[in-house]
Amino acid sequence: MKMPVAAVALLAASALGSGCKHESRDLRPTEAVSKAGGGVVLSTLFAGGVPGAIAGTLQANQENAYAMNEGKRLFDAYNCSGCHAHGGGGIGPALMDAKWIYGSAPQNVYATIVEGRPNGMPSFRGKLPDFQVAQLVAYVRSMSGLAGGLWAPGRNDSMQVKPGENTVTMQSPVRAEGAPPP
Amino acid sequence: MIPGSGYALAPAGPQAARLAQVFWGFFAVCVVVYVVVVALLLLGVLRPGAAPLDEAGRLRLVALGGVLTAVALVALLVISIRGGHELNPMRGAKDVLTVHVIGRQWWWELRYPGTAPDQQVVTANELHIPVGRPVLLELESRDVIHSFWVPELHGKRDLVPGHDSTTYLQADRPGVFRGQCAEFCGAQHAQMGILVIAEPESDFQAWLAAERRPAPPVSGLTPDAQRGRELFLRGTCVMCHRVAGTPAGATMGPDLTHLASRRTLAAGSLPNVHEHLRRWVTDAQTVKPGSHMPPTPLGTEDQHSLLAFLEALR
Amino acid sequence: MHVAVTHGCRREVNSAPLQSRSRTVQRGTAGCALLLLALAGCQRSAAAASTDPTGEWPMVGKDYQNRRFSELDQIATANVSKLKVAWTFSTGIPKGHEGAPLIVGDMMYLVTPFPNRAYAFDLRNPGGPPKWSYEPQPSAAAQGVACCDVVNRGPAFWQGKLYFNTLDGQTVAVDTATGKEAWRTRLAEINQGESMTMAPLVVKGKVLVGNSGGEFGVRGWLAALNAASGKLLWRAYSTGSDADCLIGPDFHPFYAHDRGRDLGIHTWPPDHWRQGGGTVWGFVSYDPTLDLIYYGTANPGVWNPEMRPGDNKWTAGIFARRPEDGRAVWFYQWSAHDLYDHDGINENVLVDLPMGGRTRAVLGHADRNGYFYLLDRATGEVVSAKPFATVNSSHGVDGKTGRLIPAEEKKPRQGRVVRNVCPAAPGAKDWQPMAFSPQTGWFYIPHNNLCEDIEGVDASYIAGTPYIGVNVRYHAGPGGNRGAFTAWDPVAGKAVWTVSETFPAWSGALATAGGLVFYGDMEGWFKALDARTGVLLWKFQTGSGVIGQPISYRGPDGKQYVAVFSGVGGWAGSVVSGDLDTRDATASNGWGDVMKDLKGRTSKGGTLYVFALP
Repeated sequence: MKMPVAAVALLAASALGSGCKHESRDLRPTEAVSKAGGGVVLSTLFAGGVPGAIAGTLQANQENAYAMNEGKRLFDAYNCSGCHAHGGGGIGPALMDAKWIYGSAPQNVYATIVEGRPNGMPSFRGKLPDFQVAQLVAYVRSMSGLAGGLWAPGRNDSMQVKPGENTVTMQSPVRAEGAPPP
Repeated sequence: MIPGSGYALAPAGPQAARLAQVFWGFFAVCVVVYVVVVALLLLGVLRPGAAPLDEAGRLRLVALGGVLTAVALVALLVISIRGGHELNPMRGAKDVLTVHVIGRQWWWELRYPGTAPDQQVVTANELHIPVGRPVLLELESRDVIHSFWVPELHGKRDLVPGHDSTTYLQADRPGVFRGQCAEFCGAQHAQMGILVIAEPESDFQAWLAAERRPAPPVSGLTPDAQRGRELFLRGTCVMCHRVAGTPAGATMGPDLTHLASRRTLAAGSLPNVHEHLRRWVTDAQTVKPGSHMPPTPLGTEDQHSLLAFLEALR
Repeated sequence: MHVAVTHGCRREVNSAPLQSRSRTVQRGTAGCALLLLALAGCQRSAAAASTDPTGEWPMVGKDYQNRRFSELDQIATANVSKLKVAWTFSTGIPKGHEGAPLIVGDMMYLVTPFPNRAYAFDLRNPGGPPKWSYEPQPSAAAQGVACCDVVNRGPAFWQGKLYFNTLDGQTVAVDTATGKEAWRTRLAEINQGESMTMAPLVVKGKVLVGNSGGEFGVRGWLAALNAASGKLLWRAYSTGSDADCLIGPDFHPFYAHDRGRDLGIHTWPPDHWRQGGGTVWGFVSYDPTLDLIYYGTANPGVWNPEMRPGDNKWTAGIFARRPEDGRAVWFYQWSAHDLYDHDGINENVLVDLPMGGRTRAVLGHADRNGYFYLLDRATGEVVSAKPFATVNSSHGVDGKTGRLIPAEEKKPRQGRVVRNVCPAAPGAKDWQPMAFSPQTGWFYIPHNNLCEDIEGVDASYIAGTPYIGVNVRYHAGPGGNRGAFTAWDPVAGKAVWTVSETFPAWSGALATAGGLVFYGDMEGWFKALDARTGVLLWKFQTGSGVIGQPISYRGPDGKQYVAVFSGVGGWAGSVVSGDLDTRDATASNGWGDVMKDLKGRTSKGGTLYVFALP
């Protein structure tokens, strides 16, 4: 009689354990405001290995539901949607498709936001804390399915203009990571 | 010290007074019922050797109990209906002041439309109202359900996203009344307070006039505050906050144009004094973890200058 | 004397009976033109004085009245079906080409979309390489503040110099003999969200230019530069104090609600006029008799109307000003407290029409809000305002107050979705300029048939980023066609004929004395229709959507040519020119879903086509 109870208890505990990681919230990140480069260079080739405290956060955020949801909130709040719409693009390129002009790796997207890009992407260096940029990176990648469907936000309170991020199938990026722009 | 007692039974306006009446009415009826019930219980327990009643007797007793209960309930019903019916005597009142209250996680945006577009005032977390005048609050929410509750003035009214609701308030005496969000709305629901400051009409008009003024121009600031203004405009602050008279015009966070004139910070979480302001600006997450104000670590000198600027925003 | 002759010429031309009297009109016009030349010799370069100016296209609207009417009749209804490509020129830029080439003497001048290269062609060598080219090298970052593709709507020419705007906010003057820069003046700042796309107009030695950026919370203005030196002479803002808006004792608006002090401040929430929009990105017209320039102001800053209660002067309206010093004479607001991004910048075509038993000096204007207006040119009074497309967002224009009467149930609301609002944000007609034919007396309007769903959301003003505050998505209006080309009788106030178009008719229109009207569609067809009946007489597939302004000129060989840019893009075509993803219905502020089939029907391009009879 005791065996099933123990089994259930074990299952419940493991389920709880794995769920917590994806919902974990680091509310007191110590990173300062995004400085020049933030420790990330524009290329993904790093002499001597991948640098920087931000790289760890960027990677962790790819599987963090809170980070992606915050990224979605910031995407509208900081007027990203003014140029990129809800992923379809406009003044700026589409973010929900497979074409990446400046690379799709988290480090590339981070650099795009912090440094800006030559053809009109403004630089947000000094205007956004690093941890918020990392959240935006996670959300932007979720728009084309590159960051997890399980953790991508699905609830859309606006007029449902596109399929939810958690239903998007992954679009394999057309340009290789770090490839130079045309 | 956060001012205001938030004590619902010390009503400061007609709505709260009516609610307090209903409360006391119920209380009175319930006291009577309680006394009668306890008395009967004691009677039953302490009276020895009483002969049990016969069928008819028992029936009479039950009937009597039923009638008394019904009377008590009817009394409560009458008190409740009359109280609710006259809760909002403001409908049809003249000289109503309209205020838009917009609930956000986890602060209150307040807009006074005024009589003309250039009379509009936008502020946050501190609702000033004139004494003796009915105030119409138009309530909306930008994200989840909140609830507006200032116990000394009125009961709770929900702010439901996508659904506008209204309520009337009136303060019959000057004072500072503390309110609170009364519908769980997320991590910092507990620290989503609001202050209602009722003041004489002339003071209220003076406050409105001051709120319409933009921030002091650069020339009107001390050198330290000027440096702080530069820090404000060049840093992360402009992504969320508005200060009229500067290029900062974002609406994600509270309007800071008259930050220094407010008594509290962070929706009533902290008194607005230098040390708390410094802590809020640099490390908001220790005050209100989960709120949307990010930590902004700054060097000592930068903190000093920035605070000099913020404290000049009177 | 000059004034009298001009007036006489116009009267003769415009009051010609509405039958095909092309030769009389042409002779009369030619005679008047020669007189004008004699009197105003200083206004033409030596080369042009020797040719008949009816064969030229010296400004994007052909003339100061913006009629886009060519007096040439060699190509006519009888022979247009034989029209063939004479030569082409590829700009090499796969973006929207909304410009018009200019023809002065034997030269053609054109300006491309960003990076705004200027070219000159000697028409004695058709198909030959450009005589010169000039690269202003504008900042590439400006592409990030151009709301609606990196278009350029054309240059202006005066006294041997070509004037045009660069996307990053400079006005450039190039010496047309040598192709060298004469001067450049920076007027707009991209870090404030400003850019420049409009075609300048040169009036009395002043280059009139205006800014773009209403989607970025900029403050709109029209400026005048000294044509010789490039020095800024005056700048009239569209919001702010009377002093900033050059409003003074000469200002006499017709309607009461436009009268008052500093309305450019008081019809806004405090300080909001600083991000008030009212940019000037459309065409400017000029009446030499009244000595008034006319131009429209664009939408108020922040699309979400709940954020800016008040009439929001002086946006979404038309100013009449003196070119000398820019002082305002009158103003009329097409859409007070605009609710739908209905910019008021659509062109104002100056015509004299027989109305109420007399000839009335009016201007014709087909607005975004769906009404075709006739305004008195001298006073700004609304003579008539009739809907030329499906409109459910308003109930007409009030005759007494001149105000647009909004439909309450179609007002955008914060946090709510209002569905099926017509016309949509691109309006019943956007920038695409119409033409007027004095032969028929009708206007030829390329326009849209779109409705929208709109939802108000929060908007933050962050300098250099968009300031919109709504989610919108468009869909086709009643009938299912997304565009149309309409012949409009202004006196009767109704359409004579309409040709339905699958996509919005985003190109300009051209009317000719040969009884033809030309326009292009977004699938790439350039078409000629009979101006009277609307019957399609000729079409040619140019390979990319046509959104440019067609022109017609007489070449040095005496033949008539018709020229137009092909190259899809602009706001409506950004789905193709910007490679957008149409799974998002709000892409490019609303076009994502309604234009999703455009990708399969056309592709990017950038070519000037010149057609002639064989």
